Amino acid sequence: MNHSRKVLIVILVGTFLVASFLAWRNITSSIDFADLRIVLTTTTAAFGSLLGIITAGLMFTHGKFSELASELGEKSLEYLSGTLSLEKVQIIGNNLLALRKTFSLLETQTTVEVEKNLYRRVVEKTSSIYVNLAVLSDLKIQQGLAESDLMISAMDPQLYVNYKEERSRVKKEWQILVTIKQIVDTWEGSKTLVPEKYEKRTSLQQDLRNSISLLGLKERLGKDSKHVRAETEEICNELAEDIDKIGKQLHQDRIPQLLSQMENANTIRGKYFYFALAFIATPLFINLLVLPQLSIGTASFFQPIISITSSLSVMGIAFLLLYINRILDV
Amino acid sequence: MKKTVEEQMRALLTKYAYPPVEVVIPILEKTGRGEEELASQLHEIDMSVLSGIMKILNLKEKNMRTVSKMFGVILSFYGQKYEPVELSENRFYLSVSDCPMLHVGKNVNTAVKSKFCDVFCSSTAKVMAQLVLGKEGSCSWDKALIKGGRKCTVAFELVKTK
Repeated sequence: MNHSRKVLIVILVGTFLVASFLAWRNITSSIDFADLRIVLTTTTAAFGSLLGIITAGLMFTHGKFSELASELGEKSLEYLSGTLSLEKVQIIGNNLLALRKTFSLLETQTTVEVEKNLYRRVVEKTSSIYVNLAVLSDLKIQQGLAESDLMISAMDPQLYVNYKEERSRVKKEWQILVTIKQIVDTWEGSKTLVPEKYEKRTSLQQDLRNSISLLGLKERLGKDSKHVRAETEEICNELAEDIDKIGKQLHQDRIPQLLSQMENANTIRGKYFYFALAFIATPLFINLLVLPQLSIGTASFFQPIISITSSLSVMGIAFLLLYINRILDV
Repeated sequence: MKKTVEEQMRALLTKYAYPPVEVVIPILEKTGRGEEELASQLHEIDMSVLSGIMKILNLKEKNMRTVSKMFGVILSFYGQKYEPVELSENRFYLSVSDCPMLHVGKNVNTAVKSKFCDVFCSSTAKVMAQLVLGKEGSCSWDKALIKGGRKCTVAFELVKTK
């Protein structure tokens, strides 16, 4: 955790403690009604200014979000028309279907659970990439980059359900790159020198290489035909060549980093802003509109509520600080 | 475009994948045979991997330092935590705190794990000695992890010839 985060957490905890202490003091001691009104006016003016800052923050975050969305949107079209040509998509798709068929069969032929799991993982991951490719293929048709979609016709009902679900997620142009990244991630896994740790999800490439090695051993034992291993290895090499190129391009264009920034901006736009707004606007509403209407007697009666709403406002400021900190990170 | 050392290394170690122990052991245990075939396959893989690493890293010196470098690369690639314990002209000790054998199913007994630990380790050790140290090299491992210990020590030593 970096230094500014630590400072912010200290401030957050500190303000919470101070607010709790003040609220407790105000509840236990009586305050003059005129003083109460002065406090309310002052705090209301301060919180009004903070609302202005929040709005500026939101506009800034939204600006950043729109800028990134536009940059990624342009790039996604380049990918659809260039890197992922129709021919390339179909070749990869056919290879994936061939693997899916082979490994589904291998899965039914074995009785050893761990081996079954390995083949099942290959089937699941090839299906996942195929579905992603079908989504891209459909988007190409929409953009006028292709005329017919051969990928959907080759799907079984389950694959089609997955496809529909995945397709419904892609609404904006920049989300095309999320789909492309998913393909690369499923294929290559981690990009560091340490590709897989046992507790982590393995990549399709790793599962395929392990399976090929296993088929090689079974071939030596005379339990499997050489043909299956050779064919799988050939397809795996072709896929490696094709998907590695896409992955390389993706990393060169810094797409994973840009997508991560988009995700952060989106989170900040939503979560932190609405938290801050709720914590500041609610007490403001009560202090400004409700309390001035009350008589001295009722105001004294509601004094604990004033204390609580003021404490909430202080919490709002803390959230606001957190919000600004996150904005600066994007 | 020329590949970087890391890319070449990744391609090499991905191309020559070892059969996954957690899958191989239950299969061979069920079949009741296949150790020789596994050993022969491992030997071929080790030859390709280790000679490939020497070529990529341009390791020409045949000594313990080369052995330590090669172990570092292989263990890092497979995500195994290791610690060099001793490195001298005559020996290289390292300890590993994680081993693929630990991820083999709990229903496989320790004796079976121990047997396959020998099959896997002896293959790498033989090829390492053959390629880097020559005939005078020997390698031993204490299998402490399989026995429930926290670290397993692997020792490479030069056998003194009289």
